Amino acid sequence: MDTAWILDHLDDLGLRTLQHFGLAALAIGVGFALSLALSIVAVRFRRSLGPILTIGGILYTIPSLALFAALVPVTGLSILTAEVPLVLYTLLIFIRNMVAGFDGVPAEVIEAADGMGYARRTRLLEVELPLAVPLIVAGLRLAAVSTIGLVVISGIIGDRFGGLGFFIFEGYRHSFPTEIVAGAVPSVVLALAVDRALVAIGRRLTPWAGLERG
Amino acid sequence: MRLSRTLALGASMLVLLGACSTGGGSKPTVKVGSVGFDEARVVAETYAQALEANGYTVDRAGIGLGDRKVLLPALETSKIDLMPEYIGSGLAQGYGGTSTTDPAKNRTDLQTVLNGKGGGITVLDYTPAVDTNALVVRKETADQFSLKTWGDIAAHQADLKIGLATDCPTNPVCAKALKDVYGIDTSGATLLAACSTPMADALKAKTIDVAELCSTGPEIIVNGWVRLEDDKGTQPADNISPLVRNDLLAKVGDKAAFEKIFNDISAKIDTPTLAQLYYDVAVGKKDIKDVASAWLKAGGFVK
Amino acid sequence: MNLLTATATWLADPANWTGAGAIPQRLLEHVGLSAISLAVAVAIALPAGLAIGHTRRGAEVAANLANIGRAIPSLAVIGIILPITAAIDPQLGFKVYPTLVAMIILAIPPILVNSEAGIRSVDPELVESARAMGMGEGQVLAGVEVPVALPVILTGVRSAATQIIATMTLGAIFGSGGLGRFLVEGIAQNDDGKIFGGVVLVAGLALVIEALFALAGRAATSPGLRRIDVNRQGSLGVAT
Repeated sequence: MDTAWILDHLDDLGLRTLQHFGLAALAIGVGFALSLALSIVAVRFRRSLGPILTIGGILYTIPSLALFAALVPVTGLSILTAEVPLVLYTLLIFIRNMVAGFDGVPAEVIEAADGMGYARRTRLLEVELPLAVPLIVAGLRLAAVSTIGLVVISGIIGDRFGGLGFFIFEGYRHSFPTEIVAGAVPSVVLALAVDRALVAIGRRLTPWAGLERG
Repeated sequence: MRLSRTLALGASMLVLLGACSTGGGSKPTVKVGSVGFDEARVVAETYAQALEANGYTVDRAGIGLGDRKVLLPALETSKIDLMPEYIGSGLAQGYGGTSTTDPAKNRTDLQTVLNGKGGGITVLDYTPAVDTNALVVRKETADQFSLKTWGDIAAHQADLKIGLATDCPTNPVCAKALKDVYGIDTSGATLLAACSTPMADALKAKTIDVAELCSTGPEIIVNGWVRLEDDKGTQPADNISPLVRNDLLAKVGDKAAFEKIFNDISAKIDTPTLAQLYYDVAVGKKDIKDVASAWLKAGGFVK
Repeated sequence: MNLLTATATWLADPANWTGAGAIPQRLLEHVGLSAISLAVAVAIALPAGLAIGHTRRGAEVAANLANIGRAIPSLAVIGIILPITAAIDPQLGFKVYPTLVAMIILAIPPILVNSEAGIRSVDPELVESARAMGMGEGQVLAGVEVPVALPVILTGVRSAATQIIATMTLGAIFGSGGLGRFLVEGIAQNDDGKIFGGVVLVAGLALVIEALFALAGRAATSPGLRRIDVNRQGSLGVAT
């Protein structure tokens, strides 16, 4: 370990960590919104679930190496090149969990809501969505952790992106383990911190589950 | 120096977070690019800092962008305005031309191709520095088989594991030249990125015995490896030229003064200089911006 | 559309289907390397997950370890491991082992988390009545908990398999075999057909494996549970 290098690059490490977080947060946010819309479609129109999951599955299996490289001619050097693959990879994780969450709402609850005169849309938003929260949060945690790991690969499209992956690529180019570790460790810590934060948020959103484990 | 680097990264953060950055002044913002190879990055960075010293705003998003397959289309479609290019490889690999050992001819031929690309691209003066494809062996391998030239490899190829660039099978100056000119069979070669850490690591770990590296590669000196001679002159001369979009040249006002910025830099980059810049970055672990600015200052290009 | 034509042409070219380095060989290498990593990951993560799920001890530690495993970038693992394994074995230690280690680390979390969550979610009354019938702890686990939890466990193995198949391609940067070679060589050789032909093969392989696991999952679901569709429940990955 070359501590002098690390001390000399603390400012860069900090900024790259911020960038890493920014790239991941944007992808997770957009992926979440997109997936929620698709999941609602899938739940309302059951037949679309198969195709949606299949397409999500295919996107999920496209190797990131190829996807980032393929996007440069299309989206250029813009942030889209970094974000599009990250967003696409979250879809499968989110949609599986969201649909499972909606499906997990007991039939009696839905019947009771219908009996109370809830319209379909308000029932979805006010009854089903809150009950699906634990599974949605589970998906969010999974998506967050894996997206934070994947941001690294976006370094393949140049120094501008990649977040902490910049150090991993450069450290590898220079056969410099210190730099690889200096990139990898904060990336793991960031993932764990975000995961903990999401657990805490999940607990606040579902006070009725508070007595169980978190 | 460190502060300026921090600010530059900070600026790119702002772009990421949605804020807009605009270049001040009347001079256009210049988008500089380069492949992800350290030597090319550091040359691109000298261009960028020299431009800044002359009052231009520089967008560095394209530096270290990827490989030639990504960079040349980016230049043609104006995603970047200029980039350093190895003129021999650019001609042969980028545009399917035939590169030679004569840099002047390579430049002319590349210019002919680029006249019709992306609304016109100009090849400026090339460096005296040459970075060419080199076949390198460990010292003990050279001693054991008395290897001096590429021809010597052919005589011992049954005993030697060869590592070549990933594009070798389809690159006329690689697989075909090795086979036709030297009689070296490359079909069993380990393919790795050329001039890269995996290639050097593989030679070091004895995964391979012969490695294709760049002649300026610092790992050759650091490890005391032996560079074998391409005695039949199959490898093109890879001098470095800036490729600049014509529409940028039309916008800069004094075109001659603009081109002089680059031509002055190129004139000063000879082979030892290029190898030293590369060494400082890859082995010295110095930041590319610091290496570039120290060299520009020493050469009197910036104050 | 150019891209589609190039990809179709590459895939249809008989020359790409025979000989050294052709599609069948790369496909076999990819399946072989993936199977080895998956088998090692199962051997490590499954017993651990079962033990934690059964004893209900160490779940917190396992969840954190799984999260760390998920968050470590594969590229960093390869970069750090390579100099060590290459010193031990110049050939496989350079070209194969680093990627295998990275894939094993990648595959452990979903298997660990799902086997633990699967066992834990078995109805406690079922477990208690099995004990009341005089079954030992091993019998309870093997005879009651595992059969009920099997679909969830299989889902964990399935998502591990898919991730391995897609990510194994990184190894080609370091000279490993497998379908990643087509991506890395295609990028270097400026051959779009080769790149996206490789992508199609990787995605196709992943989908075939997914389908096989889905079938196995259905067969493994005991008839009494089938209508609850545990299979889908199992895709949660993270235990809440």
